[in-house]
Amino acid sequence: MIFPYMPILAIDVLGSLGMICIAALSLLKARKLRVKEPDNAIFLYLVWICSGLTLFALSRSFGHILKQVLLLTSHGHIWSAIAPYSGTINTVSFMLVGLVTLFCNQSWAINTKILSSRRALEETHAQLVSLNQTLEQKVMERTEMLTTSEHKCRRIFEQSLDTILVTDAHWRIREINPAGVAITGYAKNTLVMENMSMGQLFSSDEDWQRISQLIMENEFILNEETYFKGAQGNKLYVIITGGIDYGAFGCAKTFHFIIKNINEKKEMEEQIAQADKLAALGELSAGVAHEINNPLGIILGYTQLMLKAEAGNKETSPYHDDLKIIEKHVKNCKTVVSDMLAFARKDTLKRGIIDLNQVVSDVEGFVHNHADFRKINMGLDLFDQGPLNVMGNEQEFRQVVINLLINACHALDKKGDIFLTTQKNRSDEAVIVVKDNGKGISPKNITRIFHPFFTTKPVGEGTGLGLSVSYGIIKKHGGRIRAESEENKGAAFTITLPSPPDKGEY
Amino acid sequence: MLALTGIILLMPDWVHATQMHSAKEGILVHQLGHLFFLVSMAILILTIQGKKLHMERGWRLIQYSALFFILWNLDAILVHFLDNQSSFISTRLISMSHIHIKPLEHHQGLARLYYLLRLDHLLCLPAMLFLHRGLSHLLQRKTP
Repeated sequence: MIFPYMPILAIDVLGSLGMICIAALSLLKARKLRVKEPDNAIFLYLVWICSGLTLFALSRSFGHILKQVLLLTSHGHIWSAIAPYSGTINTVSFMLVGLVTLFCNQSWAINTKILSSRRALEETHAQLVSLNQTLEQKVMERTEMLTTSEHKCRRIFEQSLDTILVTDAHWRIREINPAGVAITGYAKNTLVMENMSMGQLFSSDEDWQRISQLIMENEFILNEETYFKGAQGNKLYVIITGGIDYGAFGCAKTFHFIIKNINEKKEMEEQIAQADKLAALGELSAGVAHEINNPLGIILGYTQLMLKAEAGNKETSPYHDDLKIIEKHVKNCKTVVSDMLAFARKDTLKRGIIDLNQVVSDVEGFVHNHADFRKINMGLDLFDQGPLNVMGNEQEFRQVVINLLINACHALDKKGDIFLTTQKNRSDEAVIVVKDNGKGISPKNITRIFHPFFTTKPVGEGTGLGLSVSYGIIKKHGGRIRAESEENKGAAFTITLPSPPDKGEY
Repeated sequence: MLALTGIILLMPDWVHATQMHSAKEGILVHQLGHLFFLVSMAILILTIQGKKLHMERGWRLIQYSALFFILWNLDAILVHFLDNQSSFISTRLISMSHIHIKPLEHHQGLARLYYLLRLDHLLCLPAMLFLHRGLSHLLQRKTP
């Protein structure tokens, strides 16, 4: 059959050219895809398949066009020679495309796994980044909270009015707050840098042994009362609570203490107890003195009447000497009763503004010439910023100071040092201190020295009323009297009197 | 053993170790190549289907491209079978405008079919066009 050849020729030539163009454009697109997503193996496959198809299009189209040209120019024999080579190249090129496709199927599976692994990795990475950010945020929040907490704790530590003290496992002081520095009187460097031991703060070694033993046994102590020894040698009554911290996060074992200074509270309690006791004693003494005073007056009156009757015949009367003895002892008794009444007396004598400097100076001058004070060195340190005025009775204040000096003289066995000091304290009160370096007062006696008739002197040498009368006088003037002593190291009596009211008030 | 080796080397003769190949084998290899290409395109269609990539327009166009390549391969296999392999058809260019297609035993329908099959660019060119469009769509999509 005869067919038109032109459609075959046209489609063959134009189709071949179109194949080359479109294959080249497809290869270009595939390469762009590859550049866009270099990690995607599928696009690499598309590049390969397009390369194969381009090669196929080129070889096939070249073959077809050449065939048509040679056939139309009657060179069919040349085409017959070339045709096997063109066919072979065609075969190879589309087999190559087929191979790439099959290879792609395998690599596709691998790529899918890679992509899913990559996605999982990216998700994990995103989670890790999120967790990291959360962690950073949490670390920041916790750090802030920790800083705030640390600041709060530091403020509590610094501002606490009670002592907060931390020692290491060997009781060496490692931390102490300003309150602790203030009550002990030591410099912070001395306490911390110089490895001062906790035990050195205790007044008594026995107390320290007892308390440290308690901590080691019970791991804590609660409200233990003891005495501390300040840097100036002063004693402080304190209450201690503490425990062991075995340490956390690699910290070493430490001991923590909270120490409360109850010195003033204790003194006040003691003074109140003492005052109550003395007040009761005063009432009792006044009653007793009143009951005894009247019979003594009668005995003295009758004795003196009898002495008067016997006045003409002193030498011959057998009773004159006896009556004299009775008179002497009755007078002694009356003096004692008078002192007892003075101890209990509420208010009798006239009061006015008195300069205590003047009183102390006069008394010092008075006793200085007394035989008992000749071997005693008297030290006088008077308040030098004007007169030290108080409201009261001068005679009574003189009596108090003389009583204290006489007691000091006895404590010194008439040989030693006595210091008289007058000053004003922070509350603008007048203070008189009488201090000696004699034998001191034993702890068991110090609570009893203001009791009426309490004396350590031999019988007949003291009535035991000096200090109780002095106590009565000072209390009557609204003041306080306090004794401090260490046995064999001397004693100090401190009298505190309120400053006088302004002129308008009296 | 040495003596035997010496006899073989000193007494050479014709051997027929290399098999000779005829032109028929060439066309068979070419046909197998088309078949291989066809199968690979079928696998590509199934792979795209299996991976559910056909939901995306770019890959769907590539599937169409593979389908047209399959059709083109079938066309080429048939043409080669008719004129090169079985000699059912013989052709002769009469002039620039006409071609004589001579079917075996004057099967006119076979001659017409052969004529249509010779227009194979009508299959492979759309295949290339679909491939190009598919790649263009893939390039235009947003990077995941």
